[in-house]
Amino acid sequence: MMTKNDRPRVALVIGSGSVKCAAALGLMKVLEREHIDVDMVVGCSGGAIYASLIALGWPGQRAIDTTLKMWTRDVTAKRNTRAILQLALPWIFKFDESFGLIDDRMINRRFRDGFEGATFAQTRIPLFVTATDLYNGEQVVLSDGTIAEAVRASISIPYIFPPHKLNGRFLVDGYQSDPLPIGVAIKEGADIIIAMGFESPYQEQITSLMRYNYQMSSVTSNNLLKANFAFHNLAHHSEIIPIIPEFKHRIKLFDTDKIPYVIEEGERAAEAQLPYLKELLGK
Amino acid sequence: MEIQDRQVDGVTVLILKGSVDAITSPKITEFIQAHIAKGNTKLVADLSGVDYTSSAGLRVLLGAIKETRARSGDLRLAGVQPDVQKVLNLSGFTNILKKYDDVNSAVASYS
Repeated sequence: MMTKNDRPRVALVIGSGSVKCAAALGLMKVLEREHIDVDMVVGCSGGAIYASLIALGWPGQRAIDTTLKMWTRDVTAKRNTRAILQLALPWIFKFDESFGLIDDRMINRRFRDGFEGATFAQTRIPLFVTATDLYNGEQVVLSDGTIAEAVRASISIPYIFPPHKLNGRFLVDGYQSDPLPIGVAIKEGADIIIAMGFESPYQEQITSLMRYNYQMSSVTSNNLLKANFAFHNLAHHSEIIPIIPEFKHRIKLFDTDKIPYVIEEGERAAEAQLPYLKELLGK
Repeated sequence: MEIQDRQVDGVTVLILKGSVDAITSPKITEFIQAHIAKGNTKLVADLSGVDYTSSAGLRVLLGAIKETRARSGDLRLAGVQPDVQKVLNLSGFTNILKKYDDVNSAVASYS
């Protein structure tokens, strides 16, 4: 499928990876400088935040400022007392699908304020955000309504944030169904797919139940990432260009102070693929 | 993209230089197909001069692996560079193909 002016349709897919996903802002900087138009943006989990900011066309510094306002350590500071009681006495406090150790009211408010009520209909570039249906494991592609709601669903880290109820479904983190949702771009008719993905970090030491949980989650999601990436590479009719920034230092969930460094690495990784991308686009 | 070949102990070594991608894949496919048609199914791809591969490149490699294995041969990789290794890892291809540090080891693996 080609666009009206017969150039290949370009998709940008940003996978899960928390703060590391800010590297997409560096990638976008390179694409904009080279006047390479993106026809759709797909984001998952942390990638959904940056996919949304890019799709809205908010310039680099505004995107950074918005992230810094939305994503800080204090969004996980308040424990969900009910969840703790549900764990301790499940038959009394009725353990159910809304379980999450963190009270999510602050993160919900941050996303609502941060995205300023923006909707999918207002984006400059078509946007797709992925989440996962808790009850059947299906990938759920969100492309209408408010962006804040979709992003909130997409970042529902299991055990940490409660699943987000949207359109009657309990939605958990997009990485649970596909950490790098290239399939959405294929389905939406993209030709050239620029895919920025990250493997989940492994724990250096497993010293608590939560760390054990993170480790198991990384093991599963990294294998899922590879399996899906292989399938998409073989299934796609055109080209998937993986952009995998390398970070010398470990970037943790709330290392927002490292965003400038992360963006730089994204830019660097994009520059490395640029000559080939331009060749493909006949530029 | 440059491709050359040489025979070593009954094994065909394909020496690739440049990128294995959508632009170069038709040429590489044609080159490999010509060898398979001649009955050369024990192949080693020397990738020490390849600095990039993409989805189209992976499809070329997988196609060659399937065709050679169906004819009791194989395509084995040698001298894979870090950027290519990264894509092979991400795609899980390292689980299904044989990879060696250098051409000599890859050729020796057939004996």
